[in-house]
Amino acid sequence: MSAGKIVRRNSLVYWRAWRTSFFLSVLGPVMFLSAMGLGLGSLIEEEQAFGGVSYLSFFATGMLAASTFQSGAFSATYPIMNKMMWQRNYDAMLASPVGVRDIFLGELGWIGVTLLQLAVPFFGVMAVFGVVDSPMALLAIPAAVLAGLSCASAVFAYTATLQTDEAYTWLFRFIITPLFLLSGTFFPINQLPEWGQVAAHLTPLFHGVELVRQVTVYNVDVSALWHVSYLLAMLAIGTMVGIRNLDRRLRP
Amino acid sequence: MDAPPVPDSVALIEARGLTKTFGNHVAVDGISFEVRRGEAFGFLGPNGAGKTSTMKMIGCTSPPGGGALRVIGMDPIAQASEIKRRIGVVPQTDNLDIELTVRENLEMYGRYFDVPREVAAARIDELIEFVQLSEKMTSRVEPLSGGMKRRLTIARALVNQPDLLLLDEPTTGLDPQARHLVWDRLYRLKQRGVTLVITTHYMDEAEQLCDRLVVMDKAKIVAEGSPRELITRHSTREVVELRLADDARDQLSASIDGLVDRVEWLPDRVLLYTETGDGILTEIHDRGVRTDSALVRRGTLEDVFLTITGRSLIE
Repeated sequence: MSAGKIVRRNSLVYWRAWRTSFFLSVLGPVMFLSAMGLGLGSLIEEEQAFGGVSYLSFFATGMLAASTFQSGAFSATYPIMNKMMWQRNYDAMLASPVGVRDIFLGELGWIGVTLLQLAVPFFGVMAVFGVVDSPMALLAIPAAVLAGLSCASAVFAYTATLQTDEAYTWLFRFIITPLFLLSGTFFPINQLPEWGQVAAHLTPLFHGVELVRQVTVYNVDVSALWHVSYLLAMLAIGTMVGIRNLDRRLRP
Repeated sequence: MDAPPVPDSVALIEARGLTKTFGNHVAVDGISFEVRRGEAFGFLGPNGAGKTSTMKMIGCTSPPGGGALRVIGMDPIAQASEIKRRIGVVPQTDNLDIELTVRENLEMYGRYFDVPREVAAARIDELIEFVQLSEKMTSRVEPLSGGMKRRLTIARALVNQPDLLLLDEPTTGLDPQARHLVWDRLYRLKQRGVTLVITTHYMDEAEQLCDRLVVMDKAKIVAEGSPRELITRHSTREVVELRLADDARDQLSASIDGLVDRVEWLPDRVLLYTETGDGILTEIHDRGVRTDSALVRRGTLEDVFLTITGRSLIE
């Protein structure tokens, strides 16, 4: 298994700019939680609507999942396309004993590492803002990473089929952003019309958001199993289809 | 943990009726050839003749579409990673890792091949010296010249000490100095016993480097032999190039019959294919043909190539 070599290659490149990267992953949640959570949240007194928690708690937990989800999506677009088509790093790797499966799993593994380095500082900021109150809440980190990886595997599978980057504009405008807005990050999905609620249940981000909220600020119930299963299934299918697509692409 | 050496009697590459199709397009159409240990073998042909597709099948990055292929005695599908461990690939377009330095490129590639760290370190020092990039060791790849990138790619392909080196158009796009430096390094590798497989559309490159070559055209092999053999078989030892005024052309065409093996009338020149260029030139002048300019040169692979594949532009 050579997937670890891909992770090492990426970490070597990443290491050069880790300070900037770390700074941004702290700055992001600080700004979001201040503006939306505290700023907007101070105007919202009715905690009933948010499952009995403050708007800050509701928003912070949703935003954690949404951040990893979006970051997972982005990581599987241009950076992958660049190595696949423009710089042709994957062709170089394939001339060695490294295989297509190694490349896919290695890249996905590395995306997992970057999601972790996004989720951990985010979680730290949440703790500072007083959103976290039990050790159980730490599970929010793997939950958020899982949501991001599921999304990344699917987007990677899609990237492997693309001939140009034009489709990404559509992907972000019509899929990723609507998911971000309508999967319960900013407001509970019971505010949506009935069909919208059904649709939300089918989207991966909704399951990620719910999962993070359950372990952090709500009570964990049996639906958590369903959320985890959904995300794992998406990850598994994305990975299988992704390896197949990438093989067709790189080894015609 | 090196694999056992292959006996010398085994051909390093053996292809029988090898085929590759992409949809309706036949890229390689039933070609057969053999590459022996220690030789420099060339695929010569115009763009789109199927050279790169053939190279990718040999390099195990594209599965054969039909026919039989053995590389270093192994099956390119079932034993792809074993084969890849023992070959080096210099692709047509550089695919160096531009986010890494010169040295890191080699280190990382050594890791892809599981070369132990200390072994790799010593080998990389040697390789960087060999391709004359010692001064650029810590430089990023981006600012390097085309020739330097090519040399780095060659060094990278040698990091696993391959038995077989595949070079797809190794000097396309390089200036003359850079080309000669690459040729010189490849020649040295050959002397060390590395088997080279080279694709090119440069005739001088094929003549300089290849012991044996095949000419590919429209997905098929159309000729095979050493550069000398091919010239003897498909062209002549010498070629006389004449530039003539129109009336001299008429004069020449009236008196040339039977003098030379073949005459080719081009808009700007007339080519006479013959074994004895100087003799023919004297003979023509004796017959009163006035030439504006006349040049006797050796027959080249270019003559072979144009004879076989024709002069019309292939695209």
